Amino acid sequence: MKGVGAVAEHPKLQGVYSPEEAAQAAREGTVEPLTINLGPQHPSTHGVLRVITTLDGETVLKADPDIGYLHRNWEKIVESWHYPQIVPFSDRNDYLSAIFNEWLVCRAVEEAMGIELTERAQVLRTVFAELNRLVSHQMWFGTYAMDIGAFTPFLYALRDREWAYDLFEKATGARQLYAYFRIGGLRNDVSDAWVQELRDYLDYFEREAYPAYMDLLYNNEIFRVRSEGVGVVPKEVAIAYGASGPMLRASGVRHDIRRVERYGVYDRCDFDIPVGKNGDNLDRATVRMKEMIESIKIIRQCLDMLPEGEVFSPKTPRVIKVPEGDWYVRVESPRGEIGLWLVSTGGLQPYRMKWRAPSFVNLQLLNYMTRGEKIADLIASLGTIDIILGEVDR
Amino acid sequence: MQPEWMAPWLWTLILAVVKTIVVIAFVSLNAAVLIWLERKVSGHMQNRVGPLRVGGPAGILQSVADIIKLLAKEDFVPQRGDRWIWWLAPSVAFAPAFLVFWVLPFGPHLVVEDFNVGLIFITAVTSFTLLSIFMAGWGSNDKYSLIGAMRAGAQLFSYEIPMAMALVAVALATGTLNLTAIVEKQRHMWLIVPQILAFLVFYISSVAELNRTPFDLAEAESELVAGYHTEYSGIRWSMFFFAEYTNLLTSSALAAILFLGGWHGPWLPGWAWLLIKTYLLVFVGMWIRWTLPRVRIDQLMDLGWKFLLPVSLVNIAATGLYLVVVR
Amino acid sequence: MSLVQQLARTAATMAKGHLVTLRELFRKPMTIHYPDEPVPHPVGFRSIPVLKVNEESGKLNCTACGLCARSCPPAIIFVESFIGEDGRRKQWPAKFDLDLSRCMVCNLCVEACPFDALEMSEDAELSAYTIEDLYFTMDELAALWKTSRSVRIAGGQKV
Repeated sequence: MKGVGAVAEHPKLQGVYSPEEAAQAAREGTVEPLTINLGPQHPSTHGVLRVITTLDGETVLKADPDIGYLHRNWEKIVESWHYPQIVPFSDRNDYLSAIFNEWLVCRAVEEAMGIELTERAQVLRTVFAELNRLVSHQMWFGTYAMDIGAFTPFLYALRDREWAYDLFEKATGARQLYAYFRIGGLRNDVSDAWVQELRDYLDYFEREAYPAYMDLLYNNEIFRVRSEGVGVVPKEVAIAYGASGPMLRASGVRHDIRRVERYGVYDRCDFDIPVGKNGDNLDRATVRMKEMIESIKIIRQCLDMLPEGEVFSPKTPRVIKVPEGDWYVRVESPRGEIGLWLVSTGGLQPYRMKWRAPSFVNLQLLNYMTRGEKIADLIASLGTIDIILGEVDR
Repeated sequence: MQPEWMAPWLWTLILAVVKTIVVIAFVSLNAAVLIWLERKVSGHMQNRVGPLRVGGPAGILQSVADIIKLLAKEDFVPQRGDRWIWWLAPSVAFAPAFLVFWVLPFGPHLVVEDFNVGLIFITAVTSFTLLSIFMAGWGSNDKYSLIGAMRAGAQLFSYEIPMAMALVAVALATGTLNLTAIVEKQRHMWLIVPQILAFLVFYISSVAELNRTPFDLAEAESELVAGYHTEYSGIRWSMFFFAEYTNLLTSSALAAILFLGGWHGPWLPGWAWLLIKTYLLVFVGMWIRWTLPRVRIDQLMDLGWKFLLPVSLVNIAATGLYLVVVR
Repeated sequence: MSLVQQLARTAATMAKGHLVTLRELFRKPMTIHYPDEPVPHPVGFRSIPVLKVNEESGKLNCTACGLCARSCPPAIIFVESFIGEDGRRKQWPAKFDLDLSRCMVCNLCVEACPFDALEMSEDAELSAYTIEDLYFTMDELAALWKTSRSVRIAGGQKV
C-alpha cells in the first residue's frame, strides 16, 4: 500500500492541522474551527452535494462530501426491468454524457449475448460518444469558469453547446437524454446532411469557439495563478484512490479505456491521450482542453471512414435473453471509467447490475486535494473533479 | 442670495435640505441607469440581450420595475442576528456612497460643497463602506456572511492604503486638496499623463474597494452564496445594491475628476464631459467584471501589499523628486 | 521569469481576454424570444407518444394488444380492450391512458407497436399546473396526434 502511505507523508499537509489536532487545539482554546455546510443548496456544488467543511479561518481543515441526495435506487430498479428498458434509464445516471451510459449497457448485453454490430453502427457510436465528450467538456469548462468566478465563459460554453445539442436533437430526437443506442445497434440512422452539419460544427468549434475559450480564460493570468499548484493529486495517490479519466491522466498516468479495451472503432483512429505532470487543477484543465481537440480529431476520422449499410444488426434476436454468467465491461466517459458488472441467471432481467461511477470514485479525493488550502480552492478543486451527482448517487 | 427677512439658520437648513434632495435624486437616478446599463452590457457581452420587456425596446425601465418588486417583497429578519446592527447596515452602506457626491465638482461652480480638503474628506468617508459590510456580516449571524465580512475587512482595509497613496501623489502633483482646484490645474494636461502609475493604482484599488470582479471576494457567489448580504432580502438588499452602484459611479467620477481632466473638453458643456468620462470608466469597470475570474484571498493580499503599495510609494517618491528638482 | 516579463505577460493575456468580450459585445445576440418566436423542432423530436388515427376509417390504429404497455419501462401506459356486448374482446381499445408525469420519452412503446398505432408527437408545450393534468386519456392522445406533427422512428431508418 505504497500510495496510501504517501497520503500521510504528502508535503502539503506539513504544518496543517489534522482533524484530530484541530479538535485538540479547540479543546485547548488555541483555535476554534468553523464547520460550514456547503450545500445541499449552494450555488457551486454542481447539483445536490453537501460538503461538510471544517475551516480554520479561510483554510480548509477537512472537507467531507456527504452524498445521497439524488439517490434513486438505479441498481435495484433495473433488476426488475427487461434489458432494452434499462438502456433509456441508464441515461439518467450521467446526464451530461448520456451516450456513454447507453453504450455501456448495450455493450454489456451485446458482449454477453455475442451480438456482432454492423460496421456503420460501430462508427456512428464512436462519433456520438466523442461528440458527447466534446459537449461534456464544454460544460465542464463553463462550470469551472463559474467556480473560479468568471461568469461569461459559462455562457459562451452554453452557446457553443447549443449547436451540438441541435445536432443530437436532429439525430436522436432529444437534447440530453438521448435513448438512442439499442441493443444490437442504433435506433435510427443519420443522413448525409446531418454528417455535413456535424463537420460544419466541428469547424466552427475549432476555429471560433476554442480560441475564444483559450483567450478568455485558459491563458488568463488570474486563471493560471488560481489553478497552478492547487488541489495537487500525486500519481501514487491517484492510483491508490482508484481515480480515472482526466483526474488520473492529469497526475501523469497514461491510462485510457479507449486504448486499453477494444470497443468502438478507437483502434482504427489516430489520437493522442493528453497527460499532465503535477496533477493540479491546471493540469486537469489542460487535459480536458486538449481532449476536446482529440475528440474532434476522432470524429473527423470516423466521418471519413463512415461506411454505408445498416445500423441495426439483423442478427439481433427479438427477445433479449442474457445467458447465465457475469461480465464486467467498461467505457471511457468524459469523467473516467464507467464500469458495469452484469450478473445474469439467464432470463429477461438482470440478476444484478453494479454501476461503477467515475465521479463517485473521483469525489473521494476531494478531502485529500483540499486539506490545507483555501475555501476558494475547495470550490475550484470540486469543479475540476467534474462530478455529476446523478452518477454519484445513482 | 439669502433673503433679508430669513433667519440665517433657517436659510442654511433649507439649503441643506434642497441640496440633499438634489444629490439623492441625482445619485438614485444614476444608480438606476447604471444597474440597467450593467445588465445590458453584460447581456450583450455574453451574447444575450439583457432586460427587454419593461419600458420600450431596450427595457430602460427595468430598474423601476425591480425597485417596485423589491419594495413589495417580504422583509426577512434573521431571528438570532444582532438586530440593530443588521438593520443599520444598509443605511450605513448607502451613506458614504452618497456623501462623496457632496464634494465632486461638475463644473467650475457646479459643486454642492466646494470643500478645500475634499481629497481627505473622500478618503475618510469611503472607509465607512467597510463598516457597513462588517455590520451586515456580523449582524446576520450567518457563517457565509461572517466569512464574507472578514474577507471584506481584510480587503477594503488593505486597498484603502494604496488608494490613499495614489491620492497623495495627486495632491503632491497639483499642490492642493481641493477637487475644483485639482481640475483647474488640468486645464492644459490631464493628470493621467504624468501620473499614469497613480491612475492605475487608484483604478485597481477602487475596483477592489467596490467589491467587483476580479476582487468580489466578499460576495463570491460561487463560494459564499452572497457573502455579507446572504441574509438580506427585499428593500434592504436593494439598498446594498444601490450603494454598490453609487459607489461605482462615485469612484469613476472621482477618477475622471482626478486624472481625466474633469469637466475640461471642447464644444460640450463641462458637466456633459464629466458624465461622458465617468460613464466611460464605468463601462471599463463593467468590461473588467464580465471578463475576468476571481482572485483568491491570499493573492488579493499579495497584490495589494506587495505590488500596489510599493508601486504607489515609488510613484510618490518620483513625484516628490521631480518637484524638488524642477522647482 | 523576471517581474517585467511577468507583468508584460499578464497585461497581454488580460488584453486578449478583454478583446474576446468586446468582440461579443458587438455581435448579434443569439437569443430566441421563445414564447413570442416559435422554436422549430427537427423531425423526430420526441415529446409524448400519441395515438394515430386511421385516415380512411377515422378510427384508431390501436388494437389494444398491450405490447406498448409491456415495453414501457416505468409502466405508465394503461390499455384495456373493448369488450363487446357478446362478451368478447374486440380489436380496439376501451381505455388507453398515459401518465406523462412519469414518462421518460424513450420511444420504446413506439418501437414495440406492430400496428403503426403509436407515434411520437413533437408538441412539447404540455406543461400543466397540477400533476393530474398530465394524465392523458385515449381521446386526448388522439386529439394531440391531429394537432401536432408526429412521426414513428424505429428500426434504423435515416433521419
